[in-house]
Amino acid sequence: MQRSPKPTSVNLEVNLGGLSMKNPVTVGSGTFGAGREYHDFLDVATLGAVTTKGVSLYGWEGNASPRIAETPSGMLNSIGLQNPGVEHLKADELPWLASVGATTIVNVSGHSFEEYQAVIEALEEAPVAAYELNVSCPNVDAGGMTVGCNPQSVESVVSLCRQATKRPLIVKLTPNVIDITEIARAAEAGGADSLSLINTLLGMAVDAKRRKPLLARGVGGLSGPAVKPVALRMVWEVSRAVDLPILGMGGISNGTDAVEFMLAGATAVAVGAANFVNPCATIDVIDGIAEYCEAQGVADVNELIGALEC
Amino acid sequence: MAVGTLQNEVTPILFNEEAGAGIWLMRVTAPYIASTGKPGQFIHARIPGMDEHMLRRPFGIYAQDPNEQTIDIMYQVLGFGTEHMTTLKPGDSLELIGPVGRPWQPPQGCKRALLVAGGVGSAPLFPLAQQLTCDGVDVVAILGAQTAEALVAKERFCEALGGDPRCSTDDGSFGYKGFCTPLVEEAITEAEEAGAPFDYIACCGPEPLMKLVANLTANTQAYCEVSLEKRMACGIGVCLSCVVDTIHGKRRACVDGPVFPAKEVIW
Repeated sequence: MQRSPKPTSVNLEVNLGGLSMKNPVTVGSGTFGAGREYHDFLDVATLGAVTTKGVSLYGWEGNASPRIAETPSGMLNSIGLQNPGVEHLKADELPWLASVGATTIVNVSGHSFEEYQAVIEALEEAPVAAYELNVSCPNVDAGGMTVGCNPQSVESVVSLCRQATKRPLIVKLTPNVIDITEIARAAEAGGADSLSLINTLLGMAVDAKRRKPLLARGVGGLSGPAVKPVALRMVWEVSRAVDLPILGMGGISNGTDAVEFMLAGATAVAVGAANFVNPCATIDVIDGIAEYCEAQGVADVNELIGALEC
Repeated sequence: MAVGTLQNEVTPILFNEEAGAGIWLMRVTAPYIASTGKPGQFIHARIPGMDEHMLRRPFGIYAQDPNEQTIDIMYQVLGFGTEHMTTLKPGDSLELIGPVGRPWQPPQGCKRALLVAGGVGSAPLFPLAQQLTCDGVDVVAILGAQTAEALVAKERFCEALGGDPRCSTDDGSFGYKGFCTPLVEEAITEAEEAGAPFDYIACCGPEPLMKLVANLTANTQAYCEVSLEKRMACGIGVCLSCVVDTIHGKRRACVDGPVFPAKEVIW
């Protein structure tokens, strides 16, 4: 049975820095493929957007196994951005997403600044509503971590990508920094239209009996409900530091979680690891936001953005 | 790729009992999976009351009854999740995504098959034994376990095959004493000497066993398949957690497997 959100009188439409979304809910890159596998469970066209798995110019093989470990209220992953490259995305996934009427955000990765730009250039004719720049994935030795942790690098890569497209440009921030607002300002200076946060928190799990790390690579990115308080804090800090709209994420698995992010300053939210547990988590989140609004007498979901009272 | 459409079924537990030696048997009502599952496919289970251990657990389909709309799951208590599963009672429900994955694919016109199971690896092989027997294939089954008590699938195999499976136990409490690989070598040689070699060999169990069986069969005419188990998050092919190294590159154990042709796996 393919689920869709329940009808509601609440206006759920939001605008994320030029990206019009029918509701504020998308998915965390890498937790939803390009939507096709989840289409057995839900109509992916009813989501605010589908964010595709990170894509690079040419295919990447990813990291050695084991690539995941379960941790208290969360999980670690070190997939290493395995993907078949942008041409495959263009030939296969994007036409499918367009055929079912989905709004598509393409998450873009690169080993170099030029690669980010080249991926965007390759996609300019494709059915894409917005780009999300992954300057923060902690898993690839040559990329991510260094770029996303350095304000000058972030500003440089964002402005290069800005030159390559007029489409909405979302910059995804890593939480593995001392002051995330500094990185947020750099992305804003580079020409970002919106910011998404948080990417995974760098973590580790150990098998005491074997005296070995649980992940082949030793460390990985933590996601799931365990990271939610950190994510909320960072969304709140960034929303007060920059003028850009925010796509909030980190441990969201129900409508209340999503509302908390919106109150803290997010315009839209992404559901990540929860998709693995509940394949219809995105639909439950959309329904949950609408139910909250109905119960609170909120006619327009935009009223929630940054409405935290403190 | 996945064979058919997946569903996420809420499946009430009918019984949940220890079959022996920390190996449990659970039967749930799962109409969709019971009527569409194929031998070798698995279900991805969300276990109630495990919010802190949030990921689903994959289990091979041990048996399915489309008339009664039930499936059976065999599990060995190994960690927090399986320990917690033993506390579930009839009336509690699991949430099952399924049926997932590439099933066993015996060659067309298969005449003689050898099935090799290590421990709870017997579970996904049992429906294959039933199917092959039903199709008139001559099936030899080898079951290896730690102890006699842990040979929980023996009776079912006996019933399906109309004869005893060949058994080994690590402690010698039943059948051959030691690992089951000498029994595998013996069965292959025996069949070859009788002029009726196996044309299909299927194996599920600990990875070292599957690797040994894959190597033993590499020089025979038989088509060999193995069922691999990897740490898994989504169970439907998106997260790329469960990848296996194959001659075609990294493949997902969940939807490109769990059953792979043995000669494609890089061990």
